[in-house]
Amino acid sequence: MAGIIDIVYAEYNYWIYVTLMMIGFYAMIAKKNLIKKVIGANIFQTAIFLFYISLSDIKGGTEPILLHGETSTHAADIIYTNPVPHVLILTAIVVSVSTTALALALIIRIYEEYGSIEEDVILAARRKLNPEFSEYARQSEVDSQ
Amino acid sequence: MKLAALFVVILTGAMLIYAGQDLPAFGDSESPAYQHRMTQYFIENAESESGVTNIVTALLANYRGYDTLGETAVIFTAGMSVLMLLRRREL
Repeated sequence: MAGIIDIVYAEYNYWIYVTLMMIGFYAMIAKKNLIKKVIGANIFQTAIFLFYISLSDIKGGTEPILLHGETSTHAADIIYTNPVPHVLILTAIVVSVSTTALALALIIRIYEEYGSIEEDVILAARRKLNPEFSEYARQSEVDSQ
Repeated sequence: MKLAALFVVILTGAMLIYAGQDLPAFGDSESPAYQHRMTQYFIENAESESGVTNIVTALLANYRGYDTLGETAVIFTAGMSVLMLLRRREL
């Protein structure tokens, strides 16, 4: 039992990121509201950011900004955390902002067109507007051929 | 439907945690990513090669400059798409 607790404690950052990521994943696939899906996608992305940033952490290390002489310790004694994941995540945050903006703009257009952001309402309206697009019609067409 | 989603989510989470057992412990200075000579090279030479004390800035704007250029292209494309989607249409 103590061994299991030690294993969980040594890598608790992975447990946190997996939990967060699965919350976002569930919101993306189970919610019908499009805004809630976007929020789920954002939680998912944030989990990945946290995972990368936690990978870069070193026990007792400072942030990767060089210190010059203000401290009495020698320069060789200062441990800097890994700067490379920080840079990768800066790029990922930019991509995340872009995709969120585009998703929200698309949702605004969908709302203007259908008057709802609920997935099942939109699909029902779409089936009524042009029945040839519905999955049932397509399937029966395939069967009749 | 919700139960199926929950099942998929729990299965994926269990797989991720199983895969995570091989990763280095939190805050481990012996982790391969930190001990790799490229990381050590950046920490030692970032200031002499780019003149910036912030290593993240040196990496982002100097070593990975083309990547940052591509990043601005991503933002530009997203901004243009949002403008095109939200523009008032003349009937």
